[in-house]
Amino acid sequence: MLVALLAIMIGATILSGLVTIYYDVPRQMGAQFRSYGANMIFTGTQELFNMEDVEAGVRHIKASELVGVAPYRYETVRIHDRPIMAAGTDMDGARKSSPFWKVSGEWPKADGEIMVGKNVADTFRLREGDSLIATFAPETDGDEIILDNEMTFIVTGILDTGGNEEDYVYLSLDDLEELTGEETTLDVCELSVSASADQLTAYADAISNNVEGINARLVKRVTQSETAVLSKLQALVLLVTIVVLALTMICVATTMTAVVTERRKEIGLRKALGASDASIISEFMGEGLLLGGIGGVFGSLLGFVFAQVVSVSVFNSSISFRFGLLPITVIVSIIVTGIACMLPVKSATNVDPALVLKGE
Amino acid sequence: MFLRMIRGAMFRQWKKMAMIAFTIALGASLATAMLGVMMDVGDKVNQELKTYGANITVVPKDSSIINDLYTIEDNESTGSYLLEEELGKIKTIFWAFNIVDYTPFVSAQSTLANGAPVTVTGTWFNHHMELPTGETLDAGITNLRTWWEITEGKWLDEQADDNRDVAMVGAAVAAQNDIHAGDTLHIEGKEASKELYVQGIFDAGDEEDSAIFVFLDTAQQLAGLEGNIDSIEVSALTTPDNELAEKAAKDPSSLTVKQYETWYCTAYVSSICYQIQEVITDSVASAVRQVADSEGEILEKTQLLMILITILSLIGAALGICNLVTASVMERSSEIGLMKAIGAHNSSVSGLVLTEIVLTAIIGGIIGFFAGIGFAQIIGHTVFGSSIAIRPMVIPIVAVLVVVVTLLGSIPAIRMLLNLRPTEVLHGR
Amino acid sequence: MGKDKVKRMSLLELRNVSKIYGDLHALDKVSLQVEKGEWVAIMGPSGSGKSTMMNIIGCMDKPSEGEVLLDGIDIAKETAKNLTNIRRDKIGLIFQQFHLVSYLTALENVMMAQYYHSIPDEKEAMEALERVGLADRARHLPSQLSGGEQQRVCVARALINYPEIILADEPTGNLDEANEEIVVDLFRRLHEDGTTLIVVTHDPEVAEVAQRTLVLRNGRLDHETINPNFTGHIKLS
Repeated sequence: MLVALLAIMIGATILSGLVTIYYDVPRQMGAQFRSYGANMIFTGTQELFNMEDVEAGVRHIKASELVGVAPYRYETVRIHDRPIMAAGTDMDGARKSSPFWKVSGEWPKADGEIMVGKNVADTFRLREGDSLIATFAPETDGDEIILDNEMTFIVTGILDTGGNEEDYVYLSLDDLEELTGEETTLDVCELSVSASADQLTAYADAISNNVEGINARLVKRVTQSETAVLSKLQALVLLVTIVVLALTMICVATTMTAVVTERRKEIGLRKALGASDASIISEFMGEGLLLGGIGGVFGSLLGFVFAQVVSVSVFNSSISFRFGLLPITVIVSIIVTGIACMLPVKSATNVDPALVLKGE
Repeated sequence: MFLRMIRGAMFRQWKKMAMIAFTIALGASLATAMLGVMMDVGDKVNQELKTYGANITVVPKDSSIINDLYTIEDNESTGSYLLEEELGKIKTIFWAFNIVDYTPFVSAQSTLANGAPVTVTGTWFNHHMELPTGETLDAGITNLRTWWEITEGKWLDEQADDNRDVAMVGAAVAAQNDIHAGDTLHIEGKEASKELYVQGIFDAGDEEDSAIFVFLDTAQQLAGLEGNIDSIEVSALTTPDNELAEKAAKDPSSLTVKQYETWYCTAYVSSICYQIQEVITDSVASAVRQVADSEGEILEKTQLLMILITILSLIGAALGICNLVTASVMERSSEIGLMKAIGAHNSSVSGLVLTEIVLTAIIGGIIGFFAGIGFAQIIGHTVFGSSIAIRPMVIPIVAVLVVVVTLLGSIPAIRMLLNLRPTEVLHGR
Repeated sequence: MGKDKVKRMSLLELRNVSKIYGDLHALDKVSLQVEKGEWVAIMGPSGSGKSTMMNIIGCMDKPSEGEVLLDGIDIAKETAKNLTNIRRDKIGLIFQQFHLVSYLTALENVMMAQYYHSIPDEKEAMEALERVGLADRARHLPSQLSGGEQQRVCVARALINYPEIILADEPTGNLDEANEEIVVDLFRRLHEDGTTLIVVTHDPEVAEVAQRTLVLRNGRLDHETINPNFTGHIKLS
């Protein structure tokens, strides 16, 4: 009996564990895909917009799904008389929405600190800790450049992305405001949202329609590719789950069959004592179903533990227990056990009791 | 006699043995399929991740940043370019096999008929190449921009279009200048002007929407840059970076000879970059971190996930087999009690039982192995549309696994046999 | 000195043998002697200690107290491994439930005993089956044989290694009268050939063909009768 219980438990563990993982994969893997960076951008409907518009837009997105928000304001500044694109941003937001940025050194934390792209650093031979003077030239008068404002920054880090971000310098929005002397308006805001493609489209539509001043668009390169890869991954886990489940269930069934077959003698004895086939079947099935139930309950708990272990070790995040899975696991265990018992019990009842008792 | 007994056990009660063999076959097929998929999942997912586009960009060595900042200095060019004729060399590097796709870019600042400035980018679309190895490759942005949505018309086709003066227009440019598929544009370049037939409008969802894409030679003629290109995007299958790769990326000369060899002969993104630099004159190849890093991360997670699922299913299969083996040996206690009563020693009884089980396991294992290959192929074709390459390593792993699991599974049964006293089973029940 | 002489003469001797399970004295200070070539029946009601005694004589169990001398060797002092060897070399066992290996033919079942004893010899095994009159059924599986035939295979298996003693536990318990007759006849022939026979039985008819009958009651030797109707030759040394 212990053997049968163990077999059912293994089956139930695999069932509940794999199904939990299967349901959790899109969420967990989706979070991983956020390492590709922003998948939604806000642009102004009338050229520029401000932080209030961004906040109004962000309110439409579930807080738990929002990975990072990075507002950007681009201005051309001059460093050693050469025009360089300076991006004012929220450093924390940028860090979260673009996790692939590789910074040697530190991200700027305080005012007066700046992060420079690798190419800028190469051009001006800048290293961390160096200082640089940035001047802002809003207008040119003929060939003469009228210098408007000038600030000194400490380089805290050098940015390596492999993209054109390497040609920019990054500073805080406040610093850029001070340097330009103009109130902060944003050119673009990058958002990293951990949601399915459909959900993202819904968010983008909702924001574009409801928030005046901003237009939300999806970064096709990221969202489309993510959908493509993620759907394959989920299909993979689904198929693997089905194969594993099918094989495990057959395994459970053969074990149950072996266990019941072993008890042919007992069945013969009961028949000899006058038990009807129906009563024997119902008795054995009852026993089997009870085992299936107990095994199912323990198995689903163990399966959850397994899924939790997988989730923590692969994705570093925990998963919540799916209560809906408990009855399903128990029912499937009971059905499999039932079917597995049915055949051998039935064939055993067909055996002449005398033969069974005499020892085959 | 030993053989006769084994034969008797195997053939005259084949139903019981078949059940054990069946269970072992199931377990073995599970192990084979899972191991096969697990070991190949890296390559497969790597292929899938290619939809994110290029992970390496190649630019001229002394390209000043000013050149890139077209928004600031429009027509100023520093005059450093890569050579178009060297493009073929990329497919000759050590890791050539891992180069999935690549395409050159050259941009020509031009104006439309209405005087609006526009960037015309020349590139490959599906450029047909005959490689020195005898293979052929269709390289170009058709595969590197899978996320482009063609809103009107269709992709340019380098192999079909006789007319070379065709263009694809970005959605932003099209909207601003009211351009539709089927229109003809007059483009005024720096060195030449052209009438281009608009074959398609695309929505890229990024800054490329404000560019017009044409064949490489068209843009070269507009800008007067025949034979030159600005940059190359390369999509390569890479191995996730580790410490060695990071160290090498900073400075390959800091490695010891052995480390250098390991690094050079591993498909790290940095070593592929390095090898590209070796063949393209005066170039700098760098990893697109957004793609390269993310790929590594997702690959690792996927593999780890598959490994854990594989372990779970292997444990499941192992316990299932153990269980059944135990049950089936226990069932034979009276027969074994008799053998002991008529003078069989523990060693000979265990030998008999183990031989039977191992023979069954081998039969089941072989059947299961082939069934498992089948399962793996089903998974491969359904999910990735290509077959899973079963690594030779799977065979010994499955073989060892099956034998070990069956033997381990027999331990409780064998222990019971050793402790079995004939008197317990021989009288009556 | 006298005792030593007895020891040399008796094939089997039990001296004050007890087997105690907890409080239960399954055997309580039983002593008996069986001479070479004797045919002894052991009778007694259920629970009288017959099976326990049979297990001890058959070297499948050890007494709690007392000495069991088989051919001069005290089995109470032997290791399990040696007991297996003694059992293999000196004792042929016959059971009520036959206990044939279901997937081996009659011939192979006999050969299995040879195999564990020494080397299987198909010709010799065949001769043994001829002796029990089953030469034509040699290639049949136990499931294809009747109860009587199965028991005759068991007899053939028991005698194949020329044991000192054949120990039969209720050999006719599962047989009808006709088959019982056949098996008893076989025993008679074995006895005539000089084999020592110890038959545990319920059946007085089976018991009374033996030379003498020991009756056990509550683990003690209740009484012993010399069978007046014994027809075989008495071979006392």
